[in-house]
Amino acid sequence: MLSCLLPTGNYALHLLAITSMTMVHVLGYNVIFGKGKILHFGPIAVSLASGYGTFVTLTWTGSYLLAVPIGIAMAVLLSLLFTWLSLRLEPDGLGILTIAMHQIVLTVVLNWTPVTRGALGLPQIPRMPWLQSNVALTSAVVLVATAWFFLMLLFERSTYGRQLQALAEHEWYAKALGINRPRLYLIAFLIGGIGAFITNLFYHQYLYLVHPSDFLFPVLIFYVMIIVAGKPGSTMGVALSTILLIFLREELRCLPIAASVLGPLRMMLFGIILLAAVWYRRDSLFPKKRTI
Amino acid sequence: MPLLSVSHLSLTLNAQQILKNVTFSVDQGEVVGLIGPNGSGKTTLFNVLSGFLKPTDGSIHLRDADITSVSPAQRAKLGIGRVFQNFGIFREMTLEENVLVALEALPKEQRMLLGNIKDVVKGTLDMVGLSQHAKKKAGSLSGGQMRLLEIARTLKSGKELFLLDEPTAGVSPKMTKQVAELIAELKKEGKTVLIIEHDLPFISQICDRVMVLDLGEVVLNGKPKEIKHDKKLQEIYFGADPTA
Ligand SMILES: Nc1ncnc2c1ncn2[C@@H]1O[C@H](COP(=O)(O)OP(=O)(O)OP(=O)(O)O)[C@@H](O)[C@H]1O
Ligand SMILES: [Mg+2]
Repeated sequence: MLSCLLPTGNYALHLLAITSMTMVHVLGYNVIFGKGKILHFGPIAVSLASGYGTFVTLTWTGSYLLAVPIGIAMAVLLSLLFTWLSLRLEPDGLGILTIAMHQIVLTVVLNWTPVTRGALGLPQIPRMPWLQSNVALTSAVVLVATAWFFLMLLFERSTYGRQLQALAEHEWYAKALGINRPRLYLIAFLIGGIGAFITNLFYHQYLYLVHPSDFLFPVLIFYVMIIVAGKPGSTMGVALSTILLIFLREELRCLPIAASVLGPLRMMLFGIILLAAVWYRRDSLFPKKRTI
Repeated sequence: MPLLSVSHLSLTLNAQQILKNVTFSVDQGEVVGLIGPNGSGKTTLFNVLSGFLKPTDGSIHLRDADITSVSPAQRAKLGIGRVFQNFGIFREMTLEENVLVALEALPKEQRMLLGNIKDVVKGTLDMVGLSQHAKKKAGSLSGGQMRLLEIARTLKSGKELFLLDEPTAGVSPKMTKQVAELIAELKKEGKTVLIIEHDLPFISQICDRVMVLDLGEVVLNGKPKEIKHDKKLQEIYFGADPTA
């Protein structure tokens, strides 16, 4: 019989690792979706491109020296594409199209079997030499996530952070001050893209596997939920809600209730958290349309 | 050479002609009033001047540079400052951040000239007596305070040409006087101002020249004294005089 205890030992290490890895991508995505209030629902499409870019290259060449630049290039490429779309489309159109992009990239990955091995995924991913043990890998990702957290905090308080917030609140007012929207959006999407790359780089080494099921829509929904619950745009809030929600997600697996009841209960609880968070932030979630 | 020259500007939106062959120029240091009935196209003209709407026809020059197809952000960098009818203030930001974000958007060379940016922020808030609210969210200000903040911010960020869209709308009578004083200050500093207003006495008091827009056309353009008694203006504002 399982019971929920304070995590210790290897399990604690595991929680620490996945929390840190998730946090990097979510904090990056938070710059776009939270701070910039850009209706971008394609962060997992960027993950797919960057993750598969990295590990297909690694599988074929065996070299991280090649795999890493390709993973970065793929993340940048998709980020450029999303920047371009975000500058050309109205928010509703962008929202729908980015969801479609996620589906398209997923379909390509699932069907381009000679390269991606489709639903089988890419197994036996070798770890980098200095990340062989779980302790080493976890230490590395905690370090990276901490550094990334402080970087995002700096960004939030920088000129760019303020300008992005201004654009989010009222595009015309911001432009009339001389704020350059294309530049700010590019910066935001690149931060999101690099976040996706870093998370994928570690996550799939950790699992020794790249599998398409790690890139489905529930992951996107979980990210959105973390951001909404944490307060869109707030680095501190989103970091805290990442920790809290992952802990909750994992701990809820082991309540002393029959699995047939616990399963749906857990999903429902998550649904309720998302609903409550959206309701609580209903006024600040999206910029109000104001006449000029 | 005039600071701003607008020639043969037309704008058609949804098959409706909103601006018709608008031609005028504004000299450096001039304060020009823009009046006209509701829906006559005043705000739309400002939107074209600040680059948010592309004219169907005609051209806009800032000094000798053709800015007709220059982006709004670029026009701001060239020295066009806009004060919006519904307060162009970021309500979710503090007063301090509202000033800071405007200063930070300046071209690098101009920002360098400002010196210590924190001092400029403080000076701007001091100028309109809002220093004690520096850390408050701007959304908590009254209409008059927002307007003062917006004008002061535009002034301190070194803009040359001010487009003021109904600066006294939504401002309490008591603060209207303060807003008028601030606009007089712009004039003293040699700034060029285009100002939309409904209040005729207010306009004739502070403007060197007044233009009247009706159905998207400039129908009158002259000194306040000259146009004040013009029949056309009476007609537009008060309807045809039945006793005439
Ligand atoms: N984006 C747009 N699309 C279609 N029509 C528009 C658009 N913007 C403005 N109009 C129309 O243009 C006309 C002029 O509007 P505008 O806001 O410029 O008037 P205004 O002179 O500023 O009026 P007010 O004194 O009420 O502020 C109106 O008939 C308005 O409906
Ligand atoms: Mg108007």
